[in-house]
Parts: sequence; structure tokens; C-alpha cells
Amino acid sequence: MRDVVVVGGGLLGWSAAAALRRKIPALRVTVAALPPPVDALVERIGSTLPSIIEFHRDLGMSDGDALLRANCSFRLGTEFGGWAGDRPSYVHAYDRYGQGIGTASFHVHWIRQARLGATQPFDAYSPAAQMARAGRFLLPDDDLESPFAHFGYGLALDPVLYPQMMRAYALHLGAIERPGGFSGVNLRGEDGFIESLALDDGSTLSADLFVDCTGPRALLRSALDTAYEDWSAWLPCDRLLFADAAPAADPSPLDICIAHGAGWRWVAPSRSRTSHGFAYASGEISDDKAARTLRGHAGVDPQAPITIRQGRRPEPWLRNCVALGDAATMVEPLEWTNLHLAHSAIDRLVAMMPDRDCAPVELWDYNRQCAAESDRVRDFLVLHYATADRAEPLWRRMRDTAPPLSLKHTLDLFRERGRLPFYEEETFSRDSWLAVLLGQSVIPTHIDPLIDIVPSVQSERTMAAMRERIARQIPALPTQAQFLGNIQRQAAR
Amino acid sequence: MAAKRVVIVGGGTAGWMAAAALAKLLPGRCDVHLVESEAIGIVGVGEATLPHIRAFNERLGIDEADFMAATRATFKLGIEFVNWGRIGDSYIHPFGTFGPGGGEIDFHQFWLRLKQQGMNVPDLDLFSMACTMARMNRFALPSHDSRRLDSTFGYAYQFDATLYGPYLRGIAEKMGAKRTEGRIVAVHRDGESGDVTSVQLENGERIEGDLFVDCSGFVSLLLDKTLSEPFEDWSRWLLNDRATAMPCRTAGPVTPYTGVIAMPHGWRWRIPLQHRTGNGYVYSSQFLSDDDAAAALIGAVEGEPIAEPRVLRFKAGRRRRSWVNNCVGVGLASGFLEPLESTSIYLIQAAITALLELFPQDEISPVDRNEFNRLIDLEYDRVRDFLILHYHATERADTPYWDYCRTMEIPDSLAEKMELFRRRGRVVKYREGVFLDASWVAVYLGQRVIPQGHDLRADAPSPESLVAGMRKLAADIHGLSEMMEDHGAYLRRYCPMKDAA
Repeated sequence: MRDVVVVGGGLLGWSAAAALRRKIPALRVTVAALPPPVDALVERIGSTLPSIIEFHRDLGMSDGDALLRANCSFRLGTEFGGWAGDRPSYVHAYDRYGQGIGTASFHVHWIRQARLGATQPFDAYSPAAQMARAGRFLLPDDDLESPFAHFGYGLALDPVLYPQMMRAYALHLGAIERPGGFSGVNLRGEDGFIESLALDDGSTLSADLFVDCTGPRALLRSALDTAYEDWSAWLPCDRLLFADAAPAADPSPLDICIAHGAGWRWVAPSRSRTSHGFAYASGEISDDKAARTLRGHAGVDPQAPITIRQGRRPEPWLRNCVALGDAATMVEPLEWTNLHLAHSAIDRLVAMMPDRDCAPVELWDYNRQCAAESDRVRDFLVLHYATADRAEPLWRRMRDTAPPLSLKHTLDLFRERGRLPFYEEETFSRDSWLAVLLGQSVIPTHIDPLIDIVPSVQSERTMAAMRERIARQIPALPTQAQFLGNIQRQAAR
Repeated sequence: MAAKRVVIVGGGTAGWMAAAALAKLLPGRCDVHLVESEAIGIVGVGEATLPHIRAFNERLGIDEADFMAATRATFKLGIEFVNWGRIGDSYIHPFGTFGPGGGEIDFHQFWLRLKQQGMNVPDLDLFSMACTMARMNRFALPSHDSRRLDSTFGYAYQFDATLYGPYLRGIAEKMGAKRTEGRIVAVHRDGESGDVTSVQLENGERIEGDLFVDCSGFVSLLLDKTLSEPFEDWSRWLLNDRATAMPCRTAGPVTPYTGVIAMPHGWRWRIPLQHRTGNGYVYSSQFLSDDDAAAALIGAVEGEPIAEPRVLRFKAGRRRRSWVNNCVGVGLASGFLEPLESTSIYLIQAAITALLELFPQDEISPVDRNEFNRLIDLEYDRVRDFLILHYHATERADTPYWDYCRTMEIPDSLAEKMELFRRRGRVVKYREGVFLDASWVAVYLGQRVIPQGHDLRADAPSPESLVAGMRKLAADIHGLSEMMEDHGAYLRRYCPMKDAA
């Protein structure tokens, strides 16, 4: 493998180019820098999962680069309101929720206490969730004994500066930029591989491998086949509205997702903007009414709605063309998995780089892993709908729709006795699954028998101590603005 | 909530492991009643284990040195495979990593890269703590500090399985498990549900239960004889159906590893215990008679035989379901895979662990039962592919037996794995399943499945820095191993058996 062409000049294309150059310096990487389309969610959603930190570190970038040069801020999790009837909101943070007591996991103790009618919300046991609710932020403690040592954090990206930084970095690593668009894809007669792209200026661009970062329409990959697995039966939102309001002086590290009769809306604070959005099912609400709804919350006019079709390509990689980001999988931004899936695919592409022949067995393994990962992300998103408790027709329909088999398996096991099965390529940890399941009041019928050894009063005592240990420390922690200010002052010195 | 009456059918390793775990870990949830007959005897032939057994013992509160003394156990750092790829070959499948562990690129990728560039690199074995210690006959407990090289190995035990059952029996009985001696002559079932309600002994006594654990060994009294659960036959891939076993006196040092030596029609095990060495020849009756097998074994063992060769008969495969109605099969009653990779006790443990987690509270839930069967199938299927690899990845053509193995059709799941490794040394990663990357790498390379390429990320460092780093790593591993105690001396100090055989 020698020549790689990346098509797409947004943050995804430049991230892929940077990773390829950094990890496999022998590759010649050319970026055909088409501007990304408006419906490429990877480019538009600023909230990211903790995996972005690892992605940056692998590229040799520090948190400081992202914060200082690209105006990013931190995020600790998401607050979900209105999903579980009139029960209080819950926070999904990327953290441990409690610690095991005796031989049984923490959640088993929590469930036992909940069934006895006496316990605090599940997120009271997650230090990061409590920090987020209080608008505070601190990097994880090096002291592993501290409760504040085990959480992950994501970044809130600046939609302008972040792609610029990634482009500069990829160019610095030796990627070559070809501006302008292309007019066609030339296929090789004998095997159907992509031979070259016909560029707008009349020249052609050939390569051994083509990386398609052109958004949902997948301009290259669609030239090979258009097979698509549609998830709209489970994920009903097919429209997205965006409205960017001015940033808050002290942006909270907590995003908010509020369920609505026709879908859900978000508020995602960052240093560059307060991103408001509305994901809805077009059959349940008109675009005009949706726009009015969002304007009411955001205080600014939304942009024109985007149509999305949730699902994935069965084979993101076929012959010598691999689709990344929205070109491979398209999901609504609930739980902010868009860029995560794209990063994960970039890592996989780099790790599995085959020879020029792109042998089917190697692509098979790549596609198998991508499929397993996307399907479990889908399951995690569907979980929010399938276990929600709301009365509107959309929500009643979602509750009655049979979930995908792998999610059904998860739900059956959990409802029976609070077990969670392992799946390969799982994005979200057990604690994440628990945060949503218990946050939405899915309470198992039975609990793990191994808990019998510890009496209930002892559980409650230990749990109270955990809560107090967290709550005691929160008021002393800096707010996000204070924390970022400290970092900036240190860097200036 | 009333305690469930659990009836365990059969003693032996599976029966007493189940009894001890249930009685100790689910007190109040179940009353354990084990039925066994001394007249029937057990299969146990001296057992080599996997590192997972340490977690099992730990949960039962077992003191390691005490247990090792009682079962005359030795430490095990891996398995040495001799004559598998070709006659004269030898490699160790280690419990542990190659290289320092961690890092996103597997160590063997750097090693492959240098080899493919024509550099003279030492054997991969020399970059494994476990392999190096095993070859040098040394032992020490691993460090808990994951930054240290001497944390990169694990260990298991080689022990006398006929002593492990009685050892666990002590624990089970102390926790209130009941034992009844007697031969089961009838099994009674509920006419409507088909559930087993009781087992009846020769003296007419009926033992009733809510849940039955079938540990009856190959007889499979409940799953097969009573519930007629079909058997999935895997003998087209794993054709061995006999073993002849015979202990002998140990000649030479007590090695901290199991020996697995390929033979003309199967393979031979060598399991060193404190007081003797266990031996056995696993073979296919299509290709070799019992008498010839016994003669070959007697001719091959290192020391004076202590007993006559004893023949065992089996078939590779598993019951379609391991938990049917209210009967849970554990061990041989639910399936059999030859002990080539020491998985017998591991599979028992996996079934017990799943049963503990899915133990019924009221009625048995089909959700729990299906999950149990899914977990067990996964374990068996993954071990199966790993075992088949050993037979298929060979250049041996010296007997019709090896011709068959070398040329047989293998499951697609394995064919894909082998092809991926052949191309650029990639190991298909799973989170579940007992054998991790290093195990697969050891067997592939040890049996001459040589990749054509490597992970391109391994090209990043300069060859000089890579070679220097590797040289230092091998020297550090050698140095650490050299400072360790001799395995035999370690055993005599740490866990000497009470009385010599």
C-alpha cells in the first residue's frame, strides 16, 4: 500500500489524513479537500466522548493543544430530562457509579435498596455526574484512592477552529492538499476497484486506497454499491434542527437532552457557542412548528432542517474504498457517538491497513468489527426510546416496537436479574448502560444471589458513606471557566 | 424465599467443585446434597489446569500452599508442544505475554517486521517471561505492579485430581453440604413439566430436589440418559476417542510446565506432580489399537511405571444444551474436549460460575437458562477452534493420521482466523473466550503458520532502536528469571506434600 486519497476537507478527512501519516509514514496521503456537506453530523456535532482524548494522544496532541489552539472545553456527561415519565432527570457520566460491596457489584446493592424504597438516585454515586450537575470540572486525580480518579471526559469542539487545527496538523505531518471538487469516479474494468477520481480541473487523481469522508451521500463508496441497513423502525427521528446561541461566560460541562412529544432536543454548552438542537420525527410535527419550538428555547432562529436516514452500510469497506463517518453509519446525536464511531474506524483502518489487493478476508474482519460496534451503539440509543415512559403516540409506538435482537437479549437479562451480557466492540461501559437503565427506572425482577452475604443495613451504611464522600468535596472544586482560566495562565507563563 | 434443594449427581472433580462453590457462595439460597458411589470411581488422571482456577480457589477462601500440599501440586507456566509442526519442533504456549505487554501494537508485529527484513532476531520465546522461566526451570510468584516485567506472566497448577475432589469435599461439608453414598437406579420426573423430581438409590431411598446438577461424567445420567438431549459430534475435526493413562516415577527435574508430545497417532501428555509424573496417550481408535497405544506409552515414559495403563473412551463434542428443564450439566456430562490445552477443569469452572450468577430464585426462568446455554456454547466453540488449529497447522505427513489432520476441512470460523494471521500476523480479538492473543500467536508461530506481512504501524521505529530495545528486553527477562528459585526448591519450601507416595 503506497498511495491513499482521502476525499473530504472537514475535520473527519483531516483527522484521517493525520492518523494515516502519523502511524504509517510510508504512505503518501492526498486530501481532496471538498467542503463538508451540511448534513454530515460528524462535522456538526461538537459534543464528543472520552475516546477523543485517546485519539489525540495517539496522534501526539495534548489536551492543551485542543483547549488552547482550538478553543475546546470539557464535558463530563449528559443530563436526560423527561424520558422517564415524571421521575427526576438522570445524568449519564463516563464514570464509575459506586464501588462493589462484598462479592456483589454496586448496582445490585443499589437495586436492593431501591426495592426497599430507600435510596438516593443512581447518579448520586458517580463523582463526575455530581461534578457536572454542579457545573464544576477537574481533571481525574492521579491518586487512585480518590473518588475523582476514575472518570473519563470528552471535549466540546469549536466548529471552526477545530477543523482548522486538524488540517494544519495533517499538513505538518506531510499530508498533501488538493483543493476543489471532483466530477466522477472511474472504475477499473477487471475488478471494479476505483482507479481514479476525475477532478473539476480536468485532471485525474489515482490511488491504491480511497477514503470516503464525504458525508451521508458517500460520493465514492456509493459508486460501488448502495446497500444500506435502515434503522428507522427503532430510531424514528428523521429531521435535525440546529440553532447556535452565544456562549455562556462559564459553560457547564453537562449537556442536556430533553425528551419531547415528537423527539428530543439538546442544549450543548461550549466556549464558542451554546448549541441548541432538535431531533424529531417528521410525521409527528411540522418543520415550521419544530422550528418555532426550538427558537423558543434557543432564543435564535434555527437553520434549515436536515433530513437524516439512520442506519449503516453493511460493508463500509468494499474493494479499495472505505467509507468513514456519516458515509458509513448515520445516527442521531443522542449520546454523541458520531465522531466516536468515525475515530474508531480511523484507528481500525490504520491498524488493519492491507496490501493493495485489499484482500477480502482482511476487509471482512474490518467490516465485522465496524458492524459489531455500530450495532451496539444503535442498541444503546434504542435503549433510550424502548425504555422511555411517555404518553405521546410516538413514544407509545417506540415502547411497543420489538427492539433489535441483541438489545432484546440485553433487556431480557437485565429485567430478569440485573445482568448485562458482554458484546464485542462495545462502546459504552457497564456503568453507562446502568446509568441509563436505572435512570429510566428499569428495575430487575430478581437480583444476584451473591448479595445475600451482606445485610441490607450494611449496604445502606456503605452507600451513605460513598455519597457523603463525593458531596463533601464538590463545593471546593473549580467551575469550568475557573479551571480553563488556570490552564491558560499556566500556559502563558 | 425458601432455599432451593440442589441435588448433585456424582462426586469427582466436577461434583465437588459445584458442591463447594454453591454451599460456600450461596448460603441460605440452596441446600446442597451430593450423591456419589465409591463403586463407580472417577475419571481424574492427574490434571493440568489454566490460570483461571486461581480465581475459583480464591473465591472459596482456599489457602494456596495448603491446597498445593494436599493435592501434591506443582506450578505450571505453560505447555511445551513437541513434534507438532514437524518432528523435532518444540515451542511453549506460555501463560503470559510476549514482550512487555500493553501498547497498541502487539509485540510480535515488531518481531515479524525485523524477521521479514532479513534481520537475525532471537526466537519469540526469549521475549516471554513464562517461556524463559519454564525453559530455565525457575519459579516465583508474579509481581502485582503492571509496569514490571515480572508481572507479565500468569500461572496455574498441575495436581492430582483424585485429591482435589476430597479437598473440596471438606469445604463443602463444613458449609453444610450433605453427601449420600449410593448408586442411582432410577430417575423420577414430573409427568407434566418433564422436570426431574427425585433420584432413587439402590436401597430404595429417594432424594428429592428442585434443581439437579449432572456431574455423572461420560454416563450423563440426567442430560443424556433421562432427558435425551442430543449430542453435537465434533469428531470429524477432533478424531481422538481414546486415552490410555499411566503414572510413572519422575526422572529428572520437576518442570513448571506440562509436556504435550505429538505421537504417530495422537499425542502424549506429561504432567509432573510432586510425587510422580502423570502420562497418557490420546489417540484415535480408527488408527491405533489399545494394545499398541499402551505399548507406545510404556516405551515413551521417562521413569518406572507405577500402575498398569488404564484406557478411557470418549467422543469430542457437547450436548446441544447444557441446561435442560431443571438439570444443569457440569463437566463431562455436558461435553468433552480432549485435554490438549488443559481446558477440562476450566470448562467445569465456567459452568459453575454461570450457574452461580444465574441461580434461580423462584421458578427457573427461560431467560436465565438460555443465557447459561449461550455462555457455555461460546466457551466450547472457542476452545474447539483453538484445539483444531493444533492438528491442522502441521507439516507432518508421516502417518495416515497426520495426513487426515493436515488436509481435513476445518470450520469457517477457524479458516478465517488462520488466513488473517497468514497475511499479516493479525489475531482476531475477542473479549470473551479463554485463550487470548499470546496463546494464538504462540501456536501459530510454533506450528509454522508464518505471516507474509506485518502491521504497517510496526515500521515506524528505526531498525537500530528496535533491535537494541529487543536485545535489552531479552537480557532483562533472562536476568530476572535467573534470579528466581529453582521450581523444585520453591515447592519444597512453599508447599511440600505431607507424605510421599
